[in-house]
Amino acid sequence: MRKLKDPSRELVKRILTEVDFEDRLEGFSLRERSGPMPVTMYSFREVVSLLQEPYPRIDFIELEIWVRKTVDDPELADQIAEAIKKGHSDQERTHSIRDLMGERLKQCKRLNQANS
Amino acid sequence: MNGYAGKILRINLTDRKTSTIDTKEYEQWVGGHGMGSAIFWDLVKDKTINGFDPRNVITIMTSPLSGTLAPGASGRTEVQGVGAQSYPIEWFTRSNFGGRFSAMLKYAGWDGIVIEGKADKPVWVDIRNEDVTIKDARRLWGLDTWKTQEEIWKEVSGRGFSGWLELDSERRTTQRPAVLTIGPAGENLSRTACLIHDAGNAAGQGGFGGIWGSKNLKAISVIGTGSIKIADPKALMEARLWAQKKYSTDVNNLDASWFAHFGRRKPQNLFWDKQEKARLSSCIGCHIGCKERTDTSYGNESICVETSFYAYWDKSKHGGKQTPAAYIAADLLQKYGINAYEATRGLTYIRALERMGILGRGKKIDCDLDFRRLGETEFADQFLKMIAFRRGVGDDFAEGFVRAAKRWGRLEEDLKTGILYYSYWGLPEHSYDPRAEVEWGYGSILGDRDINEHDFNFLFWWPSGAIWAGKTPRPPAEQVVKIIAEKLVPYENDPSMLDYSTDNIYSEPMAKLVAWHRHYTRFWKESVLYCDQRWPDFINTRIPGYRGLTGEGEPRFLNAVTGNKFNFVDGMELGRKIWNLDNAIWILQGRHRDMVHFSDYIYHVPYKGTGKYAWYYLPGRENGQWKYIQVNNRSLDKAKFEEFKTRFYKLEGWDVRTGWPRRKTLESLGLKYVADELERNGKSGA
Repeated sequence: MRKLKDPSRELVKRILTEVDFEDRLEGFSLRERSGPMPVTMYSFREVVSLLQEPYPRIDFIELEIWVRKTVDDPELADQIAEAIKKGHSDQERTHSIRDLMGERLKQCKRLNQANS
Repeated sequence: MNGYAGKILRINLTDRKTSTIDTKEYEQWVGGHGMGSAIFWDLVKDKTINGFDPRNVITIMTSPLSGTLAPGASGRTEVQGVGAQSYPIEWFTRSNFGGRFSAMLKYAGWDGIVIEGKADKPVWVDIRNEDVTIKDARRLWGLDTWKTQEEIWKEVSGRGFSGWLELDSERRTTQRPAVLTIGPAGENLSRTACLIHDAGNAAGQGGFGGIWGSKNLKAISVIGTGSIKIADPKALMEARLWAQKKYSTDVNNLDASWFAHFGRRKPQNLFWDKQEKARLSSCIGCHIGCKERTDTSYGNESICVETSFYAYWDKSKHGGKQTPAAYIAADLLQKYGINAYEATRGLTYIRALERMGILGRGKKIDCDLDFRRLGETEFADQFLKMIAFRRGVGDDFAEGFVRAAKRWGRLEEDLKTGILYYSYWGLPEHSYDPRAEVEWGYGSILGDRDINEHDFNFLFWWPSGAIWAGKTPRPPAEQVVKIIAEKLVPYENDPSMLDYSTDNIYSEPMAKLVAWHRHYTRFWKESVLYCDQRWPDFINTRIPGYRGLTGEGEPRFLNAVTGNKFNFVDGMELGRKIWNLDNAIWILQGRHRDMVHFSDYIYHVPYKGTGKYAWYYLPGRENGQWKYIQVNNRSLDKAKFEEFKTRFYKLEGWDVRTGWPRRKTLESLGLKYVADELERNGKSGA
């Protein structure tokens, strides 16, 4: 994982803001008795949370496009694309993307705190 | 009558009188659901009544195994009656809960309870062995389910929880009464309201909490000092040891038990991050503890869906950490007595409406909830209170979210897009979606509710988990379907029944799988009351060859208790009979094949996940070869589902035009009186 550059103030704002219904992302959290519980996500933070679940499922391509177009974070989207390509399994891809997005969220929270 | 107490308690709330039914009159149904359906059939003359009608009869039934040492069977109780939750018709339905109520009822000398009528004021029922008193419940009305139980425990046991409770000069116990109660949601006639027993055992589906509320029935408490006569105690103990030694977790070799449905390496069924200090807790007589009690006292005994209700939102709000918010939210569900699936799917739905700008403060659907606080305890409490006390727009939520959507003029549209994730009969989708795991969806739409029977889900878990982790699933699909197919008597040795490929999901073999499933669960799980968490045991990795105990285990325990010579096929046939009786009730309520359809999105919106990164795998044949195939990205074909229904009705011996059982079929099952009643109502299958 390459180090992500510090995001701009605008990007921090976008990442920490909820998206509208049309821009939502959908995934699943698998639980043995309840099955694949659908999770509708309206923020970057919620996506990170899903990826931190024990058995998350998300369409990687949809996610990459969401980060690129909706969040407008091409640097992160490129790294996600690379993680998808390099991963040997979906589990590995999920964990790499989780770490990347988690790192980006941390940066945003830190900068947001510093700016407020 | 070995295994039985011998009598069923009949309570008429209208005139506050009690009487008894001789269990022998219904012994042919064995117990649980079968007995409940038969009693309902006999006592409810007009089957078209709705759930809140005082003429509705609620049965609470045990089985011969209740209160015995039969593993994973002792603690379940079956609840039936006309429900309040399904839409558009309030089907005759069922629910089921664990704990110790069924055992205590048997120890008190009762095989079940039949509730009739409606009290003019709030009451609770105090059962102490054969003594039954209907008491004023006005002081309990308004209390949550936990407080209600505490108050009843105090009243019955007098001295708190220590020491002996003397029921008379010769009979005493150290046990506290088993109480089944409603919370504020039930009192306020919510269609999402549950019956709650102890901390976290709920009869969740059907809206039975609201129905009790409509009858002014707050609680039933039971304490007993008797015992159950077992036909062959030695055979029962030997059977239990046989099952434990052969099929349960091998503590000296845990890896061998990586999948042993009957006994698990990690038995807890929790969807939140475990609390640090906790110990296992189980239903009475169970060999496995799937619940927990914790040193924080939060989340005690909650398992399954209620533990997932708020876990994700809590973590999302708190930087990925699980905080007490998730556990407390589950406790609130239990205390207010609210169905966790309605709350979970409902919350997702109203959040979508909020993001669409339709719901919120001053919006078209005026709602005070501040979604910025989603994940905090206060938000969960506010949301659940709105349902339980019908506050503000909570008056709509309390009707269940399908009826709420109807009130808001959104039902058709939101079932078309699927943002209202309710697949069958206006009920929340479980998550084993009909578009992927068809036997679950078919069973639900051909029945009365989300079946919530996990018998075949491991067929998804094994391959889906392994492939996601980059491993080859083991055992291979061909071996798995072969082992299971052997056990699917009377349709045994047809692996096509387990072929989930799109070409096969409307086929006759799939109809056979659905029929097998309906018959198996109606008898073995809902009448004999084997727990869904532990039964059936098709595949068991502890056994060389992986053949689990299903087929042999179910009758072995039952026969040891009753002394009868009942075999597995007898049970399947009785399950078919009960299934036919239930269908006859639904038909009298208004069912016709034309209304047996999923919500629109099931036919028009493909299940998520496409192409290379799909993740839902099930066994199926591709080019003649068995493999684990991916079933994401499919929707059901409505016309082909019609063909499936025809095949299913034909297989069941029902009229394919109407879906109504034919006289010949009913008579062959010993249900001539049912055929006569259908005919009198002009609803005989041709």
